[in-house]
Amino acid sequence: MQCGRLGRFSRPFKASFVALIIAALVALPAAAQTTVRVSGWGGTDIAIVEELIERFVKPAVEPLGINVVYEPIADAYDTYIVNALSAGTAPDVFYVDIFWAEGLMRAGQLEPLNDYMAKSDVLKAEHIIPELLAAFTLDGKIYGIPKDFNTLALFYNKDLFDLAGVPYPDENDDWNTLADKLSRVAALGPDFYGLALQPEYARFGAFALATGWQPFDENGRTNLLDPRFVEAFKWYTGLVANRSGVHPQDVGQGWGGGALTTEQVAAAVEGAWILGFLRDSAPNMEYGAVPLPKHPGTGERGNIIFTVSWSINARSQVKEEAFKVLEALTSPEAQQWVLERGLALPSRAALVDNPYFAQPDREAQANLIVFKGASDGYVEPFKFLNYGGDWMAPINDALGAVLLGEMDADTALREAQQRMDALLAR
Amino acid sequence: MADARTGATAPQAAAVHPASQPTPVEMEKQKAAARRAWARAALVYVLLLVFSLFFMGPFLFATLSSFKDDPIEWPPRLDPPQLKPANWVAAWRLGKAGGGSGWFGAFAPGAEVPFEVTYFVPDGIEPQAPIVRVPRRLPGAGIGAVRPGAFAADYAIVSEVVETARQPAEVAGVSGQLVTYAFTIRHNGEPVVADRLPLDLEVQLRQTFYSATLAPNRIERLGRVQSWNNVAPGVIPYVFYNYTRVFQENYSRTTGKNLFLTWIGNSFFIAGVKVLTHLIIASMTGYALARLRFPGRNALFMLILFSMMIPGQVTFISNYLVLRDGIFGLSKLWGQETLLNSFTGIILSGLCGGSAVFIMKQFFESLPRELEESARIDGAGPATIYTRIVLPLARPALGAVAILTFQGVWNEFFWPLIVLTTPQDKFTLTVGLLNLRQAYGAVALDWGPLLAGAFISAVPVIIIFLVFQRYFVEGISFTGIKG
Repeated sequence: MQCGRLGRFSRPFKASFVALIIAALVALPAAAQTTVRVSGWGGTDIAIVEELIERFVKPAVEPLGINVVYEPIADAYDTYIVNALSAGTAPDVFYVDIFWAEGLMRAGQLEPLNDYMAKSDVLKAEHIIPELLAAFTLDGKIYGIPKDFNTLALFYNKDLFDLAGVPYPDENDDWNTLADKLSRVAALGPDFYGLALQPEYARFGAFALATGWQPFDENGRTNLLDPRFVEAFKWYTGLVANRSGVHPQDVGQGWGGGALTTEQVAAAVEGAWILGFLRDSAPNMEYGAVPLPKHPGTGERGNIIFTVSWSINARSQVKEEAFKVLEALTSPEAQQWVLERGLALPSRAALVDNPYFAQPDREAQANLIVFKGASDGYVEPFKFLNYGGDWMAPINDALGAVLLGEMDADTALREAQQRMDALLAR
Repeated sequence: MADARTGATAPQAAAVHPASQPTPVEMEKQKAAARRAWARAALVYVLLLVFSLFFMGPFLFATLSSFKDDPIEWPPRLDPPQLKPANWVAAWRLGKAGGGSGWFGAFAPGAEVPFEVTYFVPDGIEPQAPIVRVPRRLPGAGIGAVRPGAFAADYAIVSEVVETARQPAEVAGVSGQLVTYAFTIRHNGEPVVADRLPLDLEVQLRQTFYSATLAPNRIERLGRVQSWNNVAPGVIPYVFYNYTRVFQENYSRTTGKNLFLTWIGNSFFIAGVKVLTHLIIASMTGYALARLRFPGRNALFMLILFSMMIPGQVTFISNYLVLRDGIFGLSKLWGQETLLNSFTGIILSGLCGGSAVFIMKQFFESLPRELEESARIDGAGPATIYTRIVLPLARPALGAVAILTFQGVWNEFFWPLIVLTTPQDKFTLTVGLLNLRQAYGAVALDWGPLLAGAFISAVPVIIIFLVFQRYFVEGISFTGIKG
């Protein structure tokens, strides 16, 4: 799929009189300004990026003769970007989710940014939280600047702990002390439960990592029968036994945030994305957020980093200009603006000292916990080489089957390991 | 139906015993036959009812849910407070009291909103006046989260809370008393109008909410907090809460245009133009294939039929590339580098469909040739015959093509999604709805605006269906297939 502007006129079937006319039209003088196309997904992000471009990007790059065009994509963004990269219609600067980043990095579709950052005064590698930058680094090359991120924290409903007379979860809790607190809240009555247990690696994974288990060993193999993984799996699924944990479906909800709003579930493991939902669905809930509990053996927490980068198209015609736009999008001022409105967590490490985090407000407090989660204990980005969601499916299915009581943990894990081996052998 | 059946059994009985009255046994038989007939009729009606509920049910339920605060509440209620006339009256009064109109409320200078709330307090607990707060409530999702308007909290003054009534009562088998409190919320007079006035009331545990001037949107913290999105709403923002949000919260940052209205306009424009091109091209092609004799006619017709047999998915990529290059560069003749992200592209890529040609050809073949022959004797050429004789006669077929095309284009989703990616004011309504899903559903699981948008998008097709039912059926009988 060659898409050079002149390349297509050389195709023989177009060497007709039409081509002559077109050639004449192409010769028209080109616009004096360079246009940089910026793209991301739709939803609330549209309003955020529009504001960023108006406030921070345009003032910075318009004097350089750069015109920024923002093209949000309504849905199926990952499909769009892969198709557009193949068709040669992809934008110059665009979002890349860590979840599917590796495929694009390996295919050479993203421009390595090391050289640009070496020359830049505004954007240096040491400005960005190292764990986040590492997620977008492959073989020493940096393929994207994280625009924001999320990690997991324990959100709990203070009212239920008060009602049960149980102390709130705190940062010193380990798995056992937390399970004890949860079971005492559940003892309030048959309608009350401890922790919302989503059958997903995206939540459970943090507990597995806390044991010191790694998703891939040095041979690229995943071992679900590792005693550490088995221990985490049994602890997580075992919570349902005395209602210390509950599948969100059992309270008529699809996820931990929904389960919290029922006021029947004491706690949930979620990221900062829960804040906007609670603001709309339960604006008065007295909730708190604490770091995930430590594993009693290792004394460490685990966590998963969810992040999205701004990356540059490797085949862009305007890479230098695109990097200027990227600099403005991730500038300290832009990130501070986003943070102070509570819209997302910044990737610049220095912003941990921002006065926003010192507010007594519960959202700011929760954001701070999530922000710190990126550098506390065994933390892994939410990506699985280039297996994507297929890698999680066996684990998710095993969690679901055990939480619903369809299988015991050992059988489920053996089955999951077989599926995992089949996947990795492909 | 049942009467006709029982009527039919009576003459039979009479034929067997012409002279005599029916015996008790025969009367029993007649009654049994009548019962069977009734049972059959009842069965037919019940089945029809079940089927119509089965097919209409999801639509009706979605429409009902689009009025609710939380459309995915569980267990679902069939009587949300938004559909209760008492609340409509309250919304009207409160909207006026807030300084807006009864239809559209507001919180404007001069506002004086009276509010009453009643709690049930079981025996043994001392009633407590609620703590009244006008919160600064920022939306969690959608455009409001990024660009909030004025907060009523900055301009509201709450009066003292007074107890106005106390009477003994028994609620759910517990004896206690009903205590009513009243207060007023005033605007401090600064010249700022807030579009809504949220309210939170907090009481002690076990003092339960009983009733209020307006039903609360949610009760939180184990019954302690009652919370309202807007206590000066006016009827329309109260009943059509999600609908007003769809229109109010979606506007373009760059152009300031109302996006939802723009999307509706775009869909109408594209559907309208495509209906026109379909009518013109399909009727001319159909007429030529039905009447004119020229070499390759059958091959051409086969080709058109063949085009109907290729699934759209097969040609998506090549069509996309053709549009990307502006139909091999042709579009540069009128100054467009590419036809992606342009209405021209989306219209040119679907000027006419094989099925429309097929409908028209089949119809023209059913017209008597004599009409055209007599016109030809009067000296009319093919063009005159086509415009003066054939087209006026083809009205039913044209109607069918127009309706099927409109419905098809209006609901078309995948192709506009691929071609029209930017800016947002180029979207059609279907693609715009997807954007709502991202903005509200995916971020905050707030499905109300999406349901409201989906209902609005269904309205034109429903109206067209009701008005032109007859043509729909004809369209189906012409082709044997729908669409």
